[in-house]
Amino acid sequence: MKTYEVFLKKEGKDPFSHAGSVDAPDDELALTYAREAYGRRSEGDQMWVVRRSDIIIADETELKMADRKHKHNDGQLLAELRRTAPSGES
Amino acid sequence: MVPTEEARELVLAFADDELCVGQNHSWWIAVGPFLEEDLAFTSIAQDELGHARALYSLLSDDIDHLAYSRTPPEYRSAHIAEFLCHDWSWALVRHVLHDIGEQIRWSAITDSSWKELAHTAQRALAEEHFHVQHGLSLMRRLLSNEDGRRRLEPVILELAPYGREYFVDPGHGLVDEGVLTMSMADQEQEWVKQVSGLFDEFDIPVDLNVEIPAFGRSGVRSKDFDLLHDEMTAVIRIDPKAQW
Repeated sequence: MKTYEVFLKKEGKDPFSHAGSVDAPDDELALTYAREAYGRRSEGDQMWVVRRSDIIIADETELKMADRKHKHNDGQLLAELRRTAPSGES
Repeated sequence: MVPTEEARELVLAFADDELCVGQNHSWWIAVGPFLEEDLAFTSIAQDELGHARALYSLLSDDIDHLAYSRTPPEYRSAHIAEFLCHDWSWALVRHVLHDIGEQIRWSAITDSSWKELAHTAQRALAEEHFHVQHGLSLMRRLLSNEDGRRRLEPVILELAPYGREYFVDPGHGLVDEGVLTMSMADQEQEWVKQVSGLFDEFDIPVDLNVEIPAFGRSGVRSKDFDLLHDEMTAVIRIDPKAQW
């Protein structure tokens, strides 16, 4: 059995979002199972089913390190930074 | 149009097949071979019960009476639909034989002169495509595997000839009246072609011409019917006014 990730999209502007995963012996049955598990009540108009092994997975530690104050680029934070760090450090 | 007695027999038999198969499939709720298959199989069970409901409602306003309260000889189900199949290989083989037949049977009434029947068939046929696809994918997958084939082959050989009972003709006027656009004999031939084709792929020497002792359409019930009927009427016997 292989694991597949299932994504659904409703009509309109909302993007595809992760619905869940299924285990299946092959791609054809993965589609069938994904439809029955996540789409049988018309939860989506479009469905992507992706082999989990085909997903390129990023390093979690690096991702956590990426969260810095100066990346939150909205006006309020900038204003706050200007007030508390006049030298420009963050 | 006012349907003839033959047309009503055709629909009653179809509805009874769907009721029995839907009830039988639902036995697998929570005990399917794995979670995804459990969900898929029992979702098909719901669809089959929905088909039975739609067909009964063409015959009567009291569909609960038709579904649950007739005497055994008044049912018209084919024996293959009644078999309990409490072994996964039996359940899967019956599912495939039934749904190949069901797809052909709906196709033969999508342009029926009985307009409500045609409408029901058009809706059902869209679902039926997925049922057949599910059954065939899993069947081919398991027959390609030594263990799967060892378990399935004897069941296929024994059960397959029973599928022909789905095509017992309730009368000869149905094509002339336009109720059917394909005669029962032609439907049967198409079913034989598709079923033989499938098992030929795997060199399984299925013989569909074996005489089978099944006379469900004439009111004779199979050995499994009483148990099945007891189970499906458990709620209505406790509370005849139950709504669900």
